[in-house]
Amino acid sequence: MRDGVAGMDPEALEATAVMGRYCDGEAAAFHRLYGMLAPRVLAYLTGLLGDKAAAEDVLQLAFLKVHEARGAYVRGANPIPWIYTIAHRTCLDEMRKRKRSRVRLTRDGELGAAPAAHITGVAEEAHHAEGERSESAAAAMAALEHLPENQREALLLTKVHGRSVAEAAMITGTTPGAIKLRAHRAYVTLRQMLAGTGKPDQAAQAPSKRELA
Amino acid sequence: MKPNDADELDGRLLRVAMETPPPPPSPEILKTLGTMKPVRTRSRFGAFAAALAIGAIWPAYSLSSSALRPDLGKLPPAWVAIGAALWAFAVVASLAAALVPARGDVLPAGSRASRASAIAMGLVVLFMALWTARVPGVSVRPEDIGKTLLQSCYGCGKYVLQVAAIVIVLGVLLLRRRLPVGAGRIGLAVGAAGGALGGLALHFLCPIATTPHIMLAHVGGMILSSLAGALILRGLLGR
Repeated sequence: MRDGVAGMDPEALEATAVMGRYCDGEAAAFHRLYGMLAPRVLAYLTGLLGDKAAAEDVLQLAFLKVHEARGAYVRGANPIPWIYTIAHRTCLDEMRKRKRSRVRLTRDGELGAAPAAHITGVAEEAHHAEGERSESAAAAMAALEHLPENQREALLLTKVHGRSVAEAAMITGTTPGAIKLRAHRAYVTLRQMLAGTGKPDQAAQAPSKRELA
Repeated sequence: MKPNDADELDGRLLRVAMETPPPPPSPEILKTLGTMKPVRTRSRFGAFAAALAIGAIWPAYSLSSSALRPDLGKLPPAWVAIGAALWAFAVVASLAAALVPARGDVLPAGSRASRASAIAMGLVVLFMALWTARVPGVSVRPEDIGKTLLQSCYGCGKYVLQVAAIVIVLGVLLLRRRLPVGAGRIGLAVGAAGGALGGLALHFLCPIATTPHIMLAHVGGMILSSLAGALILRGLLGR
């Protein structure tokens, strides 16, 4: 995928062609691109945030940013990792907002309920009606939420979303070596958790110097 | 982990990933699509060419308007040529890695940029540390002009940082709103390119030929520029 058009898979080729038409001003091309990439980007964001409603808000914001930044696109390049990168950054910003807004006092000086911090301002309660998940998928999702943030993103990108190590490094702004290490640690930890051994061991969770790069 | 276990785990994760159908585009996106016009997209080499052309103006002016070092004609031609080639390589390799995306990519990769600039700077450091060339009686030492080592470094270091500052500002302008992640690593390479551009000009201009002066003022200025670039781009453009 890194050798330009000649080395791209069919999906990347299609995304590249559609992105070109989108930059030419074809609105239908945006809808095609959205249809192709929104499900997987949403899945990535849901995996990172652990909250489908918030992930949907970040998805909308990310595609708005893609629209605004389309002039920065390089014709002939694969837009998929680029769109992931924008979504990743948007997600990080959202996570910071959520952390900041997690603890707030009421006027009486008491702790208020944890605010949802959704971008659109939609109440969190409205988002709780979720579809039923299969048991194993729910277990995987629950286990994912216990991974450190950087391990979770490395695992999701490389194992679930099929991005190459180099692409995952670019999306997260780190080095390929760090991505490999984080994905491996996450994989080991997740397997231990899904196998029913309970809490992951401390060694697998503690980030090394290389991971922090 | 056995391969079958891994497949099973991937399968479970994939099911999680695929069970969330996305919502339709928001009204805000649809509104912007209604007024959408064709946009001029970026070329792979545009930012690199612009940064190099504009960043090289001052060093080129310095070289054309100032007297070249008096010992230039008597120094070993190989030292002059290899030194200049290494400085130039550090400029081009660092700037290209920072601003030119790999073929098939939209964004330059931060890890590639920092690695390329570190290698290029390392080569300059090695060469300048290991091979000193001076012409007795013609090449200048700090004490010949009544200065201490640190005093002699002030002018050269300032020049390197000033040239680098222009390149860093160009980098910020060219990458503004285009670099979602990896700004620190890209900034390291942009700063290294700017510092090396100053070092390249000084290779022909600075009459002081002692190794400590070159290492501290010229090479040290380049390393300081790269650190400044990393801090500035990270601070201004985000993570």
